[in-house]
Amino acid sequence: MPESYPREIIEDLVDDNLEWSELHNMMSDFKDADRFKKVRDVLQDRVDWDDPIVIPYADHLYVVAKSEDRWVIKCDCGHEFCEHDENWKHDALINVRDTEQEYLEIYPEDMHPHPDYMELREYFCPGCKTLLEVTNVMPGYPIIHEFEPDIETFYGDWIDEPIPTPDTQSA
Amino acid sequence: MASSEDNPSEHHNAETLSIDAGGTLTDTFLMDSNGEFTVGKAKTTPDDESRGFIKSSRDALDSWDLDVDDAFPNLVSTVYSGTAMLNRLVERESEVDVGVLTTGGMEDTLRMGRGRQSYTGFSYSDRLHVNTHKHPEPLIPRNRIRGVRERIDVKGNELIPLEEYEDDIREGVNDLLDQGVDEIAVMFLHSYQEDRHEQRTKEVAEEVIEERDADTTVMLSSEYYPTLKELPRLNTLVAEAFAAEPSRQQLTRVQESVDDHGGEVGVRVMASHGGTIDIYANELARTLISGPIGGMIGANYFGKELGYENLVCTDIGGTSFDMGIIIDNDWKIDYSPEMARLLLSLPMVNMDSVGSGTGSYVRVNPTFDKIELGPESAGDQVGVCATETDVETVTVTDCHVALGWIDPENFLGGDMPISREVAEEAIKEQVADKLDMGVYEAAEGVIKILENKLQNDLEAVVTGEGYAPSNFKCLSYGGGGPVHTAGYTENLGFDEVLIPEWAAGFSAFGCGAADYEYRYDQTTSIDIDAGLSMEEAAKTAGEELTQVWKNLEGKVEDEFAKSDIGLDEVEFQYNILGQYQGQLNSIDIRSPVDRVDTPEKLEELIDTFEEGYRRQYSEEARSPELGHTITQASVRGVRDVVKPEIPTEGLQGSEPPEDAYKESREAYWDGVWIETDVYDLHALNPGNELSGPAVLEGEATTYIVPPDYETSLDEHRVHHLTREE
Repeated sequence: MPESYPREIIEDLVDDNLEWSELHNMMSDFKDADRFKKVRDVLQDRVDWDDPIVIPYADHLYVVAKSEDRWVIKCDCGHEFCEHDENWKHDALINVRDTEQEYLEIYPEDMHPHPDYMELREYFCPGCKTLLEVTNVMPGYPIIHEFEPDIETFYGDWIDEPIPTPDTQSA
Repeated sequence: MASSEDNPSEHHNAETLSIDAGGTLTDTFLMDSNGEFTVGKAKTTPDDESRGFIKSSRDALDSWDLDVDDAFPNLVSTVYSGTAMLNRLVERESEVDVGVLTTGGMEDTLRMGRGRQSYTGFSYSDRLHVNTHKHPEPLIPRNRIRGVRERIDVKGNELIPLEEYEDDIREGVNDLLDQGVDEIAVMFLHSYQEDRHEQRTKEVAEEVIEERDADTTVMLSSEYYPTLKELPRLNTLVAEAFAAEPSRQQLTRVQESVDDHGGEVGVRVMASHGGTIDIYANELARTLISGPIGGMIGANYFGKELGYENLVCTDIGGTSFDMGIIIDNDWKIDYSPEMARLLLSLPMVNMDSVGSGTGSYVRVNPTFDKIELGPESAGDQVGVCATETDVETVTVTDCHVALGWIDPENFLGGDMPISREVAEEAIKEQVADKLDMGVYEAAEGVIKILENKLQNDLEAVVTGEGYAPSNFKCLSYGGGGPVHTAGYTENLGFDEVLIPEWAAGFSAFGCGAADYEYRYDQTTSIDIDAGLSMEEAAKTAGEELTQVWKNLEGKVEDEFAKSDIGLDEVEFQYNILGQYQGQLNSIDIRSPVDRVDTPEKLEELIDTFEEGYRRQYSEEARSPELGHTITQASVRGVRDVVKPEIPTEGLQGSEPPEDAYKESREAYWDGVWIETDVYDLHALNPGNELSGPAVLEGEATTYIVPPDYETSLDEHRVHHLTREE
């Protein structure tokens, strides 16, 4: 087990370009000590803005630092949604499929849920219009808040590193 | 190369030859009529394995000053095993192209597999975590699998007649022939109950093949593996075509090279059901597995000869710890073993295996600051102490070397250069410093962790099956076994702990002891309803089972006929899997009778089942009022072979002879260095007794007797290890 993988491997990991055997070995082994930092660096290099990534939040979404104690959820296109502990879906563009016809646009016949029981909610980024998330829930179900990161605990107790700030990033 | 003694002038009469052609090296193990052995190695030659085999045999015979032409004419037993077959499965690469015809709608059987196939063969943690599960690559690509519309139900009734759809067969075969396949495997649902659709398909396919003048053969699942469950059945049939058949040619060449050098013995191959079979046998795929079961066969022979009925067999090699149970001088059979991440439908001697051996890597888990072992290992590369290899991670053997248990000068008879300094340095850097411990403390910790783990695994295998260790003798073998025996048997309460002096060669010894055995199994669903009188039952169920046994008997006879072995030499055994009606699991019963078409005989079989059920579960669990079902019938045909002799010598005094004492050196036991006597394992005399701490060094193994333990050598050169009270 390497204590640290070369950057190319981590880039392939982020891009899902690893052979299964390589990926399997990585998953089975002890976790490399600097994995989080390396993944974050790869992601940071790929976005066009300068706010430091604090954690990756979901596909295309990150929690970034605006100041020492203010973090927001931001899309890789640059659109900023909300504070890190709020539900970004409230600020997203939402398409709801709750009729037979709308289901048939994306499902084969008789292969989709019944619209009276289940609706599909598609969340898009208002900035780049990328489909960010899909949920399949009963009509009337509240918008699900997936994840409320505890940044202080993660940095302070888990990885024992200072939380990135706009100042440390530019330094 | 290593041999069990060093005096080449003594005359040796090589009787037993076992060959193991691995991926890189071909190992040869020769045993003479006195039970002395010699081992040889040569590079495996995949294009013609017989060349590597002859070279390896020469290497082995060299230390006896013999050549193959002198030795081969005296051979009485030659058993070959190779990994080429298994490699084809593991690599999913074969010289032959195989096509499949299957029941229409079932074409994706291989691709979908079963849930279990997504984690079989993985380490414990990888089996536990869903993110590491992945379905293995199917053996046959989808474009070489064609469906045929037909259907037989679970009782053998025809639901969709094949005759309406014979064009499907023609189309499918034509398509497969266009793709140039060498073999066509046919697997229809429930063909183990009723095979006429498969048989008819073979006729039609062969017509097409003949019309096109192609050189393709057709194999039927009902002829090879007529057992329940279509995935393992198809996997096994395809493995037969894909991996086993290509090896037949290699085996023929090995036989020819034995003949060329004056050998008059038929080469046999170790098969998963615990016997050896001819290289021309029908079902060659059972020889895919060979390694660890050799030890079980050896143990059973050993037990029969010396009067030990119940044995727990333990084998530590470089990569794994294998455990098996023998009760009443018979092993248990696993009917659906896995290989190369595929579930197969073969009878295999049941063994449990964990990935811990003497070559297991030792690492400190950075998250928990805890020592962890394996699952990867350096295997035969030993460890960092073996300076000629490129192993970089500390192994268990490195710890033994550091603690002074293993003599660096005497590893594998001195054939492998070992450096104690390198081992200590690596342990310090990779383990001890990280945990803030001393080198020796850390090394001893590693051994304790391993032995505790082995002890837990062993306990789980014995008590998990409902047995008490006190009813068993624990037999320890394998190159790494005797180093750890005291550690992993401690506190388990075995009746006795036995270590044969030839522990390192025990698996090969077992291969040599394997009888000729053919075994055929057939899934059945024969009900014996509770309300029936014995007369009625014998006329219905009894007749039916008798007929199945007769058919299987015929198959076994045909196989023996290929080796010119007559029926008078063959001992037949009859088995069933039986259950109470409506149960899910069956138990394996060896029938006391060979026919059950009379009320008396059927009653005997049922009584045996009741007794077996009582023993495995309890008297209270018996439920004969439900009636019985026979879910499988099996026939085993066994013919004796000349077996390697178990030495018998006269007992001498308890004091070891002077020349058995080699030296004394410091070794680390429970945190202190103690001056420890070192003996030559092979120079001790029967009757000798030794108290620990002592190290007994053999050519290919080291036997450790820790403080507070005693060992005594019996007249068969078997050590009995006991703990001082």
